[in-house]
Amino acid sequence: MSTMKTTRDVKGVGVSIPRPDGPEKVTGRVQYVADIQPKGLLHAKLLRSPHAHAKIVSIDTSAARALPGVRAVLTAKDIPHLKKKAPTRAHAVLAIDRAVFMGQPVAAVAADELAIAEEALDLIKVEYQVLPASIDPLKAMLPGAPPVADAGTEADTSEALAHSAVAIAKSEAAAKAVNISQQARLTRGDPAKGFAESDHVLEKTYRVPMVHQGYLEAHAVLAEWDRNGLLTLWASTQGSFNTRSEVADVLGIPENQIRVIPVECGGGFGGKIRALCEPITAVLAQVTKRPVRYVMTRREELQAGMPAPQVIIKLKTGVKRDGTLMALDAETVIDSGAFSGAVLAVSAVFLGSMYKWPSFDIRGFEVLTHKPSVAAYRAPVAPQTIFAIESQMEQIARDLDLDSVEFRMRHLIQEGDPMVNGQPWQSNGAKQVLARIAEHPHWKTRKQWVAAGKNGKRRGVGLALGGWLGGLQPTGATVRLNPDGSLAVLTGQVDIAGTNIALAQIAASAYGVDTDVVRITTGDTDVAPMTGLSAGSKTIYTVGAAVLQAAEDARRQTFEIAAKELEASVHDLELADGKVTVRGMPDKGITLATIGKKGNLYMSKTPPVLGRANPAFSQQAPGFAAQLARLEVDPDTGEVTLLDFVIVQDVGKAINPLGVEGQMQGGAVQSLGMALTEGLMFDDSGRLTNPSLLDYRKLTAADLPNLETIIVEVPAPAGPFGARGVGEPPIIPAPAAIANAIQNATGARLTELPMSPERIALALVNGKH
Amino acid sequence: MRRFDLVLPNSLEDCLKILAERGAQAKLLAGGTDLLPQMKNGVLKPALVVDLTGIARVRQIQNGNGLRIGAAVTAREIEVSRAARGAYLAIAESAAMVGSLQVRNLATVGGNLCNAAPSADMAPPLMALEAQAVIAGPGGARRVPMADFFTGVRQTVLAPNDLLVELVVPPPGGHSGGQYLRHTPRRELDIAVVGVASQLTMADGRCTRARIALASVAPTPVRATAAERSLEGQVVTPEAIERAATLAIEAAKPIDDQRGSIEFRKHLVRVLTRRTLTTALQRANA
Amino acid sequence: MIVAKQILSCTVNGEPVEVLVQPYVTLLDALREDIGLTGPKEGCGTGDCGACTVHVDGRVVASCLMLAMQARGRKVRTIEGLAGTGALHPLQDAFVRHGVPQCGFCIPGVLMAAAALLEENPRPSEEEIRYGIAGNLCRCTGYTKMVTAISEAAGTLASQRSAR
Repeated sequence: MSTMKTTRDVKGVGVSIPRPDGPEKVTGRVQYVADIQPKGLLHAKLLRSPHAHAKIVSIDTSAARALPGVRAVLTAKDIPHLKKKAPTRAHAVLAIDRAVFMGQPVAAVAADELAIAEEALDLIKVEYQVLPASIDPLKAMLPGAPPVADAGTEADTSEALAHSAVAIAKSEAAAKAVNISQQARLTRGDPAKGFAESDHVLEKTYRVPMVHQGYLEAHAVLAEWDRNGLLTLWASTQGSFNTRSEVADVLGIPENQIRVIPVECGGGFGGKIRALCEPITAVLAQVTKRPVRYVMTRREELQAGMPAPQVIIKLKTGVKRDGTLMALDAETVIDSGAFSGAVLAVSAVFLGSMYKWPSFDIRGFEVLTHKPSVAAYRAPVAPQTIFAIESQMEQIARDLDLDSVEFRMRHLIQEGDPMVNGQPWQSNGAKQVLARIAEHPHWKTRKQWVAAGKNGKRRGVGLALGGWLGGLQPTGATVRLNPDGSLAVLTGQVDIAGTNIALAQIAASAYGVDTDVVRITTGDTDVAPMTGLSAGSKTIYTVGAAVLQAAEDARRQTFEIAAKELEASVHDLELADGKVTVRGMPDKGITLATIGKKGNLYMSKTPPVLGRANPAFSQQAPGFAAQLARLEVDPDTGEVTLLDFVIVQDVGKAINPLGVEGQMQGGAVQSLGMALTEGLMFDDSGRLTNPSLLDYRKLTAADLPNLETIIVEVPAPAGPFGARGVGEPPIIPAPAAIANAIQNATGARLTELPMSPERIALALVNGKH
Repeated sequence: MRRFDLVLPNSLEDCLKILAERGAQAKLLAGGTDLLPQMKNGVLKPALVVDLTGIARVRQIQNGNGLRIGAAVTAREIEVSRAARGAYLAIAESAAMVGSLQVRNLATVGGNLCNAAPSADMAPPLMALEAQAVIAGPGGARRVPMADFFTGVRQTVLAPNDLLVELVVPPPGGHSGGQYLRHTPRRELDIAVVGVASQLTMADGRCTRARIALASVAPTPVRATAAERSLEGQVVTPEAIERAATLAIEAAKPIDDQRGSIEFRKHLVRVLTRRTLTTALQRANA
Repeated sequence: MIVAKQILSCTVNGEPVEVLVQPYVTLLDALREDIGLTGPKEGCGTGDCGACTVHVDGRVVASCLMLAMQARGRKVRTIEGLAGTGALHPLQDAFVRHGVPQCGFCIPGVLMAAAALLEENPRPSEEEIRYGIAGNLCRCTGYTKMVTAISEAAGTLASQRSAR
């Protein structure tokens, strides 16, 4: 476990320093979008389609407009300059002639009070002609299914690259089925022959429903235009520059007419990357000439957010009795909702790339349905994919009486091995994390522990392994020396994971000062260098590298100035305790404060120290995590009590161990929810049957034990101080670890999430082992 | 929420006057834990809301010859009430399960019953303990046994200008014990997939009275009368309990919904009836 | 429909407050919009997440489920009233040092729940702590560090009490 340092001991990289925004957060002083109260504020509300698929015949807004306190009522007809084919969800600002999912915005209202806006929605009369809808993705894939997209709409894979930088060639097979929006096929060797030569062939279908990212702060945005036509957006976003680009594209205005100020983000996890509410709020603000704020209700988030996709994976594995892998046949179907945008490549690639399959045939399909379209969720489609492959691998080991760890270790990829798309695995810690978890007492004592179950409860221990390639995105950073010798670091990086303190630690260590004197600012789009998304586990890896390089640049400039002042060579200088001195001559020196002041004096010839870097990246640094669960099952009710959970993760270098632990624990708990209790449940008409947090069940503190974290460090060759991305690996293995533990406890192999008490109890009642 | 008018009566009389005049357009508010979410979702749009929290008469718990619980007593107050935790433990147990502490400090027994969801946690133990609802209306006051209080999904015997004033629970007598159990997927912040309350009264080694009430398996909370009859007059052995648990399923007419399937609910009726009867017996004999 | 505002008189964080509120606003909305205390948050509006947790007469409540006027004559305490004007409350201090707040949105609610727990149960077990904050959903942290911090703060408060 990490130790916390007081500010007196503070130095730089590797120290557990609490986030500096802690005091503001624990006193309730931090501002989120809904806390901003500008004068003249209007409140926005959206009227949403009650049908999954319907033609919009007519909309009568006259009664709504007449309600006192209502300042604007808009339908698509009122914003004709936006009327174009909607390639993405964000472009479908308001439905034009057709609603394609239940909850799609059809009209917008701005009013003096929220209560008045709600009443105005009641007064809008919409005539719909209900159309047949495609709800189940397996049915939607078939020729003749009700079509979702306008013909010719391109699949949107732009975000995929930022998250995972996984490339696969598009499948050439013609899609006769209108709702298949992306396809992929990867093959190697002769799987048919491999199956024929196998002793053990296992076929299973794994299903994971749509889940919501679950951020506690719903989407929120405040929009205001000035008299020059400059739009300012205060947004809860994971990427202010991305928001700016998307809004500019949707509204058809130049990017530098928009300023996006990233307000403290109350959770994103991938769900606050794409623009959602910003365009319509901006239009309402433009029409009313007032600041307009839109905050989604929780019900709207669940019904009409941008959830993680439903994933259905058919796996067929062929293995010899001694555990030799022979063949893998896999089909992954990803339900993207009404607009394309799932990260299909990740699923297709990860299915066959964790272990060395000599032959495989992997097919992937993205399917459109009349449901809210999807966005990323922390390691998009990886937890679902690893749930499938790690459950399957465990079941093979069980069936063949092989040791779970040895079986995996024997076939686990390592650096240089090709992924199924031919891309070689970069240096990674997969074997190290697996070895480390196998050493854990909970794993070593599992047989005795399971046997000691009492009171009728059945005990089980399970583990699983998963990894994330890590996203890449170009970025920039500056490091400035202040006249008092302190440093100011500027990026545009939204701090959603506590990365700011880690970036400050990197700057401190790279420049040569104490983290105490480094202050880091997240600038808005007017002020900061171009910055990518806070996503893809790439902040420390990319922005950290930029900050490192900028700090080194600043150090170089500092030494050049000092060298001139001290009449010495830069190679003879060293920096400690805020002073640059000549090596071996401690009295010959100049303080950083002096250098800083000189760079700011009237008529001075000394330049101000401004370190800068603007790198792009090509080398990924995969992060692996292995997780272990110890649980008890009540065989009569199916209730699971999770007693212990261990997370082992390779982070390359823990810049701030305290922050890293928080990411490990938080990520795991998200997919423990996916494993045990969460799922967006749609009925056959496409209506969400659980649109509240009562029935969309996220885990409470009473449902969980303490999560033990073990940090492993296998340095990333190109990572700052060897650091790898941290945020996504921990969400990946948990569902499989739980499934394996439940199988160990009960004999039942559950292949559909969530593994609810009902599913477990009925599996036991019906003898499905 | 849409706009509405709000009145804050200080006495039962003032409240009844308001209800007599405007009951048809009004909704009664105590804890708001069911009313406000329904108003926010647009399911209910009352023009007038009557706040009951200023009326002392409906906020008291008294223990004398029986337990009297004012309709606006909170779940938390019942949960910790020494009086309730004595002879009426199943009621306190059910109150302890509602939502979360932040909800229990607001939610009231009256609201739980008048909202009349099939899953109302406090209904089964009140039914098992044969409580009576004291209702005030334009015609005066009347008592309705819990078994007759619910008439359908979210429907009760209350007329628009009636007010549930209190619950009166007769003392169960010596050698009586009960328990309420429910199944939920999470340990907190959840709602019953199935809830069962059992109350057994024993004398000379035999059961003199058995009451079993079920939540979430029918349009209203229901009594499992066949199961009850199978136990009365008998020695309560594990086999007798198992028989009763099986018979309890007959009273259940659950639906398939996103919280549970028919098959699972019936299975849970058996499991929870078995468990609550076992505990009720232990408590009766203690 | 024009609905007249009503006068809400109550005590908030130790100070008497008198504001005009619409009768149809919740206590949460009145605190945030009319009284200027934006610490309590709306996470769901239906009492299912705990982000709006405040104390009313010393008890934790979901302020999104109370009408503002239901707080008349009562004592309300929000996160802004947890620390005095001086040092952080031991709970707040422990949360900071243990790196608890990530996005921070759940934190005001969690701290109010934890404060109430420790006022009623000064030496809670781990299980009691977990149930004490079970009405507060957090999506970022997984709760482990919260439990550690609350346990530590309980110890700090106990020593402060015995030092007096």
